[in-house]
Amino acid sequence: MVTWRRKPSIKIHLLVKGLKMRPDNSDNIIDLKNDENPEILVKQDNEGAVSRRNFIRFAAGTGIVAVSAVGCGGPAGGEGWFPAQYNEQGNFPPHVRGRVPINPGNVSITRDNAKCILCGQCTEACSKMEAVMFHYELPLIDDIPCINCGQCSLWCPTGAITEVDDTARFLEALEDPNVHVVVQTAPSTRVGLGEEFGMPAGTNVEGSQVAALKALGVDTVLDTNFAADLTIMEEAKELVRRLKRELDEPIPQFTSCCPGWVRFCEYFYPDLIPNLSTTRSPMGILGAMIKTYYAEKRGIDPKNIFSVSIMPCTAKKYEAVRPEMNNVGRKLGDPLMRDTDLVLTTRELARLIKMRKIDFLNLESAPYDKMLSEYTGAGAIFGVTGGVMEAAVRTAYTFITGENPPASLLEFQPVRGLTGMREAELEIPSVGKVNVAVIAGMGNAHKILDQVRAGKSKWQFVEFMACPGGCISGGGQPRTALPPSPELHTARIDSIYSLDEKSTIRLCHENPEIKTVYKDYLGEPNSELAEQLLHTHFDKDYHKHLTPKKSV
Amino acid sequence: MAVGVLVDLTKCIGCGSCTVACKMYNGNKWIDNRVPSSGEKAELADENWTVVKKHKVSKTSVSDSDPKEVWRFVKRQCLHCKDPGCVSSCFAKAFQKTEEGPVIYYPHNCVGCRYCMLACPFSVPKFEWNKTIPVLTKCMLCAGRLKKGELPACVSACPTNVMKFGEREALLAEAKRIIADDSRYVQYIYGEEEAGGTSWLYISDMPFEQLGFKMNVPKKPITRYSSKYMHFTPIFGAVWGIILTGIYFFTKRRAKVKKEAGKKDT
Repeated sequence: MVTWRRKPSIKIHLLVKGLKMRPDNSDNIIDLKNDENPEILVKQDNEGAVSRRNFIRFAAGTGIVAVSAVGCGGPAGGEGWFPAQYNEQGNFPPHVRGRVPINPGNVSITRDNAKCILCGQCTEACSKMEAVMFHYELPLIDDIPCINCGQCSLWCPTGAITEVDDTARFLEALEDPNVHVVVQTAPSTRVGLGEEFGMPAGTNVEGSQVAALKALGVDTVLDTNFAADLTIMEEAKELVRRLKRELDEPIPQFTSCCPGWVRFCEYFYPDLIPNLSTTRSPMGILGAMIKTYYAEKRGIDPKNIFSVSIMPCTAKKYEAVRPEMNNVGRKLGDPLMRDTDLVLTTRELARLIKMRKIDFLNLESAPYDKMLSEYTGAGAIFGVTGGVMEAAVRTAYTFITGENPPASLLEFQPVRGLTGMREAELEIPSVGKVNVAVIAGMGNAHKILDQVRAGKSKWQFVEFMACPGGCISGGGQPRTALPPSPELHTARIDSIYSLDEKSTIRLCHENPEIKTVYKDYLGEPNSELAEQLLHTHFDKDYHKHLTPKKSV
Repeated sequence: MAVGVLVDLTKCIGCGSCTVACKMYNGNKWIDNRVPSSGEKAELADENWTVVKKHKVSKTSVSDSDPKEVWRFVKRQCLHCKDPGCVSSCFAKAFQKTEEGPVIYYPHNCVGCRYCMLACPFSVPKFEWNKTIPVLTKCMLCAGRLKKGELPACVSACPTNVMKFGEREALLAEAKRIIADDSRYVQYIYGEEEAGGTSWLYISDMPFEQLGFKMNVPKKPITRYSSKYMHFTPIFGAVWGIILTGIYFFTKRRAKVKKEAGKKDT
């Protein structure tokens, strides 16, 4: 019994000594660290020790204060016992600015409500950069207008807005032994992906990207750059036919590679849909080629092919599920078959690589699989604003004149850069002056579109990209710089242009594989088969889902 | 001099900013997995003091004879009645109506009887069923912010100005002017007379009954129904006490008499 009583008193004493509550009596202070036997301490000095009764008094007193403090907290607006400032809610910002509406059924972007801080940056991006939010009349009809560009997800400082995660479906397809997984990678993912792994902005990781996809277990990796070349063949031919009045379609011709822009046009300028080029986007074209040409050559049933595209873009997720994007299915009599089964953004690919613990930085470069992956410099620059224009002009020049374009068109500076709207004028023998324009960011589109609508346009060919800087700053690219800065865009753009400069072939129509595909399969640009597989139509009724504002 | 909020449902785009602002200011948890605060399944709950509910309604326009589906978003929260049923039902004074308009709930007064939940014609007060020591919860119109001259959190966050905060009578006049000027609006102001009038007023271009509004709410304040007989309570108490005392003495005396009679018998 004696030892039982003494033990707590030692503990209390040590506690009090540690807190320096004991009266300062230097004679009795013993260095506890050097003291090997605490029993001596008790014998020498038990004056400063707190008695059990005092300790219980002290503890009970603290308890009463603590319980009272907890009981005082009232709700906001309530009148507790504490002064008003303690009743105030702490984390409410001085002013809040709202956020963009996101339909729960949106296939491209989603939001984690719990992370939203109402900073309003998404509304800025949506209304100023893309001219969507606040640019329609209220009340709503039966849609929450969204062009799926995903710029809001790049600006969201807390990461509340993200792409819709489709990685699970991709992993499911990889695990199925009966499914042949074919992946295509967009022109601009190769200059963005490295940033997710700490590489400087604009690092070209083309080879590592292919190697990483192979390591994930993908059967075949193809390059969308090849399809960009094919797109140009079709689109340039279409332009030439429009210019020569062989096609009963209006001038100027608008590009239709960017699904965000296509949706914007369908919403706000439905009367200008005939101006849109009927040529499908490179993703759509390669998707169609994979399930026809590639399947035939490799002897695989198109039904067993799971076609995935890695895109810098959230709107591509929406493009892939558009009802008309089943050209192959319609050709083969299976309308439910999609040309592209799944779209993953650059961020999702990075997440997969990290999930599977692949050491991306030390991966050995791997080449793209042969067939449908050889590309020219003109195809590579699809990823930057002005790139489609530059590539199309080079090939259109050849289609019209029969000879290769001059050096000035290979470095077509007026359409390059980061300004929202750029214009250029060029002379093509036998056609004369051709005026072209490049738009990046839908906020800059109204100026041109309103003039075209009024019939006062001087342009023959206009490129539209929903994202500032083009696909390199697409809504699915890594969020490594917040907010996305011009320096970041420039680094990625320079990296893409250097790909073009380094390439030996810089004209789409000189790509040997393109020549083979046309010779073996498609015939010639805008042939009947090409029209069936590589061209599309647009939804002329989509604008009925909203009422655009008359003046912006 | 009571405040109010005018809600123009035609302007709502369903972004849910108001629900976020409410959670941020009141420190409520996100319980989207249990009860979402926006979308088609949104419902008021212990942590959801305001919700934005999506409704798909069919609309027949003049030009198009076929009914067309349209989307409308309805913000729900406590309507802050002029004469609230919850306040009159609460014997613990946990609910109190302020002069400025907000109906405030004081949890430390609450005994947890949940009479308020029955008394509210709009089913606003919610009980914290998931907690060990639960209390009631509901929107308090950010009374703390109003005192400092600030807008309620939800009103301050709306990007499309769906809500307008001001003096109730002025807002009512404005609402009447808006619906009179624009024939697209339903010629009805929800909240003008419901339950004797509420601080929150709604105008809409679609019929209110299709947007989940309760249309069978009496125009008379809820408190009027019981006031007729409830004011007899003190008299009743006194009279009942006298009667019971009388019975007590009567039975006591009867027993005594009986006892004495018994004694005589033996």
